[in-house]
Amino acid sequence: MSVRAFVLGEFASSRAALEALRVLEAKGWRDLDLHSPFPVEGSEELLGLAPSKIPIAVLCGGLFGAGFGYVLQWFCNAFDYPLVVGGRPPNAAPAFVPITFEVGILFASLAAFFGLWLATQLPRLHHPVFEAPGFESATVDAFWIVIGGEPEKLDRRQAERDLAELGARRVETVEGEP
Amino acid sequence: MPDELQLPAPPPDPLEPHPVLSTPHADAGLNEQLFRYVQLPPGKAWWLMFGLSLSLVGLLAVAVFVTFGWGVGTWGVQIPVAWAFAITEFVWWIGIGHAGTLISAVLLLFLQRWRTSINRFAETMTLFAVMCAGMFPVLHLGRPWFAYWLIPYPAEMGVWPQFRSPLVWDMFAVSTYFTVSLLFWYMGLVPDFASLRDSAKRSWQRMVYGVLSLGWRGSARHWRHHKSAYLLLAGLATPLVLSVHSIVSMDFAVALLPGWHSTIFPPYFVAGAVFSGFALVATLIIPARHFLGFEQVITGRHLDNMAKIMLVTGWIVTYAYACENFLSFYSGDPFEIHLAVDRATGHYALAYWVQLFCNCVVPQLFWSSRVRGSPIAIWCASILINVGMWLERYTIIVTALYRDFLPSSWRSYSPTWVDVSLYLGTLGFFSAAFLLALKFLPIVPVSELKELRVELLEHRPKGATPPGVAHRA
Repeated sequence: MSVRAFVLGEFASSRAALEALRVLEAKGWRDLDLHSPFPVEGSEELLGLAPSKIPIAVLCGGLFGAGFGYVLQWFCNAFDYPLVVGGRPPNAAPAFVPITFEVGILFASLAAFFGLWLATQLPRLHHPVFEAPGFESATVDAFWIVIGGEPEKLDRRQAERDLAELGARRVETVEGEP
Repeated sequence: MPDELQLPAPPPDPLEPHPVLSTPHADAGLNEQLFRYVQLPPGKAWWLMFGLSLSLVGLLAVAVFVTFGWGVGTWGVQIPVAWAFAITEFVWWIGIGHAGTLISAVLLLFLQRWRTSINRFAETMTLFAVMCAGMFPVLHLGRPWFAYWLIPYPAEMGVWPQFRSPLVWDMFAVSTYFTVSLLFWYMGLVPDFASLRDSAKRSWQRMVYGVLSLGWRGSARHWRHHKSAYLLLAGLATPLVLSVHSIVSMDFAVALLPGWHSTIFPPYFVAGAVFSGFALVATLIIPARHFLGFEQVITGRHLDNMAKIMLVTGWIVTYAYACENFLSFYSGDPFEIHLAVDRATGHYALAYWVQLFCNCVVPQLFWSSRVRGSPIAIWCASILINVGMWLERYTIIVTALYRDFLPSSWRSYSPTWVDVSLYLGTLGFFSAAFLLALKFLPIVPVSELKELRVELLEHRPKGATPPGVAHRA
C-alpha cells in the first residue's frame, strides 16, 4: 500500500466528537474516521458507512454448515456403509437433526468470527495512527477524529486548523503505510 | 463528561432499590479501577489460593494416570451401575457452563443492561466448566486413546460413527458449544485487550496484550462490524445452549431405562442447568467483587436479579420433580413405580431428600428482599444449590441403574478414591484457571461498561437523574 497522511484530533466526549464530525462533513472533508473506546451511536450515519455485510456471511455459513452436517451423516450411515440400528431406516432424518443443527451453528459462528477479521483487515501489527503521541487514549476515554488522504493532496494546515477550531484538545499529524 | 455524574439523589424506586452502576468514575477512572488488579503483581492470598488449586490439579493428574494406567476398574463403577460419578460430573459441569452463555447471550438479546458487568465472569466460567466437563466422557471411554473414533474421518477400516446415537450427538454438541463460547468470549475481549494494552504500565504487558488485541484501534468502521458479529454470535449461542443440554439429557432419555426414558428430560435439564449455573456465578462473583473492589460495578442489583432467576428456575426444577413422580405413578408401569418409591425410601434416599431440600426449599429464601440484599445469604444459598444440583444428577443416574430389572443383578454403588479425586481435581483445575483469568484478563468488560454508562446518562429527560445511575456520594 502507498503512504498516506493522517491528521488526528482528540475530543473529550462522544457528543463533541459527533458534533465535530458533522461540521467537518459539511465543510467537505472526506475520508473521515472516528476512533473511540466504545461504539458511538450515530457515527455510522455521519460517516456514511454502509451496513455491515457480516449477517450475509453468517447466513451463508449457517446454511452451508447445516447442509454439510446432514450430507455427512447421510453419506456415512446411509450411502457409504449403511448401518441398521434399532430398525431405523438408513437415512434416519429425525435422528440426524441434532448434528445438522450443531454443525450449522458451528459454521455460522466461524463465519461471524473470521468474517469480522476479514472485514476489519485485522489482525495487524501496526497502523500509522498508533504513532500519534497520546493515541493510547482512544481505547481509554478519548474520541479521535482522523482525516486521511494522500500525502500530496491532503491540506494538513487546513485540517489541523479545522480540528482545533472544533475544540480538539490535541491535534497530531502522522504519515505512513496503512 | 466526568462531572455529569454529580447529580441530586434520585428518589428510591421500591422495585429497583439498587442502581445498575454506581461508580463515580468516568471512563479513565473506570479503566484504572477495573485494571488495577491486572496491573498489580499477585498478592499472598492469590498465591495461597492458586497453590491450593494447583495441588488439586496434581491430584487430578494422579487420578488420570491411575485411570489410564489401570483402566476404569479403579473406579466404583460396575454392572449394573456402569455410569456414576464421571457422568454426574460431566452433566454438572456442562450445566454450570450454561449460565455463562445465558448471561452473555440471552440477556444481551433481551437488552438486560445489568448483564454487562458480569458477562465476562460468566463467559470465562463457561469456558473452564466446559473444559472440565469434556474430560469425563474421554476418561470414561475405557480405551481413551480411541476417542478420535467419534470423529467422522475416512478411516482405513472403512467404518463411520453411528450418527443415530445420542452419544455421538453429544460429541458434536459439546465441541460446538466450546468452540462457539470461545469465539464469543474472545470477540468480546479484543477491544478490552486493546484498552489494557493502552493503559499497561509494563512493556511485556503492552506487548502481550498488543498481540492479543490483534491491533484493534477502535475505528468506527471496525465497531460497526464488531457490533453486528457480536450480536449475531449471541443470537447463535442462544439456541445452541438450549440444544446442548437437551442433547445431554437425551443421553438418558433415549435409553429405555425407567427413570431415564422420559420426554420431560430436555426442558428439565435445561432449567436445572440455568439454576445451577447461576448458583455458581453467585458463588464466584460475591467473593471476587469483594476482594477486587468491584462493588460499584457489580452492584446489589446484579445479586438481586441473580437471586430472582434462581428462584424462578428453582420452581421450574421443582415442577419437573413433581411431574416426574406423577408420571411414574400415572404410567402404571411397575418398574417406574418401583423406581419412584425406591428413590425416596431406598439406599439413596438421603441423597434424594437433601437434593429436594437444596433445590426446592432453599431458593424459597429468595422471596425475601432482605435475603436478596445480603451477599452472604445469597452466597450460602448458592453453595447449597450447587450441592443440590450435583446430587440431582447423581440420583438420576445411580437410582435408575442400581436396581436392575432382575433382582439378582441388583448392586449398590459407592465411589472409590479415584472417583473422588477426579471430582476434586476438576474443581482445582477450574479454580486455578479462574484465578489466572482474574489476574491476566479484563474480567469486567470495560468497553461495554463505558457504553452502558453513556447510555444511562444520555437516555434521560433533561435535568432528571438517569435511571440506574446513582448520584455521587
